[in-house]
Amino acid sequence: MSEQAAIGKLAAQADQSEGALFKLMITALALGIAPLSSYFLSRDYLWNGNTIYAALTAILAANLVLVAYITEAVREESLSRARDKRREPENKKDR
Amino acid sequence: MSVCPPYAPFFGFGGVASAMIFSTVGVAYGTSKSGIGIAGLGTFKPELIMKSLIPVVMSGIIAVYGLVVSVLISGGLKATDYSLYAGFIHLGAGLACGFTGLAAGYAIGYVGDSCVRAYVYESKVFVTMVLILIFAEVLGLYGLIVALIMNARVSEASGCP
Repeated sequence: MSEQAAIGKLAAQADQSEGALFKLMITALALGIAPLSSYFLSRDYLWNGNTIYAALTAILAANLVLVAYITEAVREESLSRARDKRREPENKKDR
Repeated sequence: MSVCPPYAPFFGFGGVASAMIFSTVGVAYGTSKSGIGIAGLGTFKPELIMKSLIPVVMSGIIAVYGLVVSVLISGGLKATDYSLYAGFIHLGAGLACGFTGLAAGYAIGYVGDSCVRAYVYESKVFVTMVLILIFAEVLGLYGLIVALIMNARVSEASGCP
């Protein structure tokens, strides 16, 4: 019985970690693509060739990706904590 | 002693290279050192891994700073009509960004490692960790701002005689 519970817990953890891997890959790609593209696009279309403002735009884009990652990590942790709290009363009822 | 010697682009390209190289060394140190702590945390509490990867993401931002400065400087390099003044400016800008990125990556590595290890036992360490990491990352940002300010002076250089 405990073996099945352990296997179920492992499968649930694997589900969680797959979502985490996907989010990490998205973050890595966004960290590479967003600043460079915002630098070149803003330099050509937004700031009329001014490179300083374009560099500042790229920095802003990179920090936005970071803030999005932190927000997502905190949100996912609070979600998983709420899910664990909901699951525990069910176990007690089964017993 | 001419104003536009043929070896002037050497310093310009040295600036481009040093911005990328030194900030990447700092980022590598930060990523690997905090990765050790994250591997230690992962054996005890795997559900905290997404939050504990924040030092690694912040190290990546430092690498982005080095990349942006490299792209910025290399956009101003020219084959001819490139003064030694511009070469020195570009070298200084690249070195400023590179070494501050090295410092920031070093700080992020140490802070990330110890705070992630402490996060296993005390969950309130998380906000402290993010605050300290933000202060460490801002070091790289200062270097980038100095590099931007220096790079803006290149257009002051008079043309080659």
